[in-house]
Amino acid sequence: MELDLPAWSEPFVGERRAELGHLGPFGALDRDVAFGGSDGSGVRVAIIDSGVERDHPAVGGRLVASYRVEPTDEDPIVVEDPDAIDVVGHGTACAGIIHSLAPAAELISVRVLGPDNRGKGSNFAAGLIWAIEHGVTVANLSLSSRSEAFFGLFHELTDEAYFGNVLLVSAANNVPGPSYPSLFSSVVSVAAHDVADPWTWYYNPRPPVEFGAHGLDVDVAWRDGGRIVATGNSFAAPHIAGVAALIRAKHPTATPFEVKAMLAATAGR
Amino acid sequence: MVADRQRRLEKDAVSLLEAIALRAEAGRRVHGESARAVLRSIVEATVALFDAEAASIALYDAASDRLVFEVAAGEQGQGVIGLSIAPDQGIAGYVFRTGQALALSDVEHDSRFGRAVAEQTAYLPRSIVAVPLVSDERTIGVLEVLDKRGATTFSLRDIELAAIFAQQAATAISATRVERDVASLLASGLRALAAPDDPERATVEEIVLAATAGLGRDDDSRLWVLAEAVAGVRMADPAQLELVTEILDALARHAGRETRRRRRSRPGRGDPSEPG
Repeated sequence: MELDLPAWSEPFVGERRAELGHLGPFGALDRDVAFGGSDGSGVRVAIIDSGVERDHPAVGGRLVASYRVEPTDEDPIVVEDPDAIDVVGHGTACAGIIHSLAPAAELISVRVLGPDNRGKGSNFAAGLIWAIEHGVTVANLSLSSRSEAFFGLFHELTDEAYFGNVLLVSAANNVPGPSYPSLFSSVVSVAAHDVADPWTWYYNPRPPVEFGAHGLDVDVAWRDGGRIVATGNSFAAPHIAGVAALIRAKHPTATPFEVKAMLAATAGR
Repeated sequence: MVADRQRRLEKDAVSLLEAIALRAEAGRRVHGESARAVLRSIVEATVALFDAEAASIALYDAASDRLVFEVAAGEQGQGVIGLSIAPDQGIAGYVFRTGQALALSDVEHDSRFGRAVAEQTAYLPRSIVAVPLVSDERTIGVLEVLDKRGATTFSLRDIELAAIFAQQAATAISATRVERDVASLLASGLRALAAPDDPERATVEEIVLAATAGLGRDDDSRLWVLAEAVAGVRMADPAQLELVTEILDALARHAGRETRRRRRSRPGRGDPSEPG
C-alpha cells in the first residue's frame, strides 16, 4: 500500500521540524513588533463554519453578529441568524480558540452548514462572498471544497479577498487530494503540528501548506456550552487566525501579504 | 412489407436491449455485493489496525437525503448498521458536508454528542475519528473509527491512516457506480434516440419499457442465478461500456435511417396533416 501521501501535517511533526530552518529577511521583526500589546481590538473576525453559540463561555460575549446561509431557487442568500446556534459545535470551537488568543476581537459567525440544495460548495461560497463584501478583517475557513467546479470561483474569491484586504485563513485538508481554497497562494493555509502550545506555530518554506499550528488534542468549546478534546487541521487554522487578528489590530494598514510575512517572521524555528 | 420489417426491427431491438439491460443489472448486483464485501473487509482491517472498538462506513443516499451506515466491524460496531442520520448533523454530517477530517475525544463529556445514535446502538464512544470518502472530487460518505484501545485520543497519523482506508473504500464504491452507469447510459442513450419532437418517440419509449420490464431486483429466479454467473465471469470487463456505446451508436444510426425512410413512406402518427 502506498503510504507516501501528501500529509500536510508531516513537515511540522517531530523530527521533520528540523527541516523548517529558514531564515527570512526579518531580522528586526519579532513578536513584540508584530503584535506585542495587541488584544485584537477593532478587528472583526468571521468564522465561516457550523455557527457559533453566542452564550458559550469560551466566546466571552464577543460574538457581535450571527448570520446563516439560506438556500433559494437561485443562489443562496445570507440572512441574520438571531438565535446564534451551532448545529455541530465546530464553529464554536474555532471561535473559542480565536477569542483565547485575541480576546478583544469582534467575532462574526457565518453559518454555512444546513440545508443545501445546490451542492456542498455553493453555501460555502455564499458565506465567503458575504465576508468579503462586508469587509471583515480576518476570516477563518476550517472547511474546503473538493469540487473542481468550484476551482474557478474560489480562485476568484480568494484573489478578491486578498486585494480587498480581507485575510483568509484556511485549514488544509487532512485527506490527500486538492481542496479549495486552502491550496491557493492568496490564503494563509494551515495544518496541525503536535506541540501542545497555542503560541507555537511554524512556517513551511515548501508550500502549498505554509503554516503549522496547534491542532492535536486541543481542548475546545463545543455545542451546548460543552467542551471536547479535538484533533485536526480545523483547529490549527483558528490559532493562526487569532494571531493574525492581533497583528492586524496592531498594524491596521498591513495588507494580507504583510500579515503573512509577519506570521512567517515570528514563527518558531 | 414495411410494417413487418418495422416489427422485426423492434423485436430485435428489444431482444438486444434486454440482453444489455440484463447484463448491466447482473453486473450491478454482483459488483454491489462484492463492493459491500470490500467495504466490510476495509472496516475490519481498520478495526484491527487501530485496535478499535468499532469502525463503520456511512454512505450518502441522495434519494432519502440521509447518510446511511452500510457496514461496520468491531465488538461495538454492529448496532449501527442500517441506521441513518441527516447529512448536516453530528460529526459524520460535519465531515460529510465539509470534507474536513477530524478526531474528537472526551466525547462522553459532551452533552448531546452522538446520544441519539448511541441510544439506538447502546454504545457511546469516548473518542472518534471521522474522515470523508472522496470519489471523483465528491464526498460520498464517511469512515468512522471509535475508541482506540490503549489510547484515549487519535493522533494526526491516525487521521491520515484512516484517510487511506477511506480512499480504498471510495475506490471500491466508484467501481460499482460504473456498473450502475451502464444502466443509466442505456436508458439515456435510448431516450436520446428520439428527439423530443420525433413522432416515433412513443415507440422508442415502448422499447425502453419492454427492455427494462421484468428486471425486478429482488427475485431469485433461475434466470438471475444464470445471469449472475455469467456476469461473474465477465466481472470487471472494461469493454462492457464500450460495447454498450457501440450498440447504441449502431441503434441510433439504424433508427435514424428507419425513421427517415418511414417518414418518406408514411406520415408520422403525431403529424397534424394526417387526415382523421
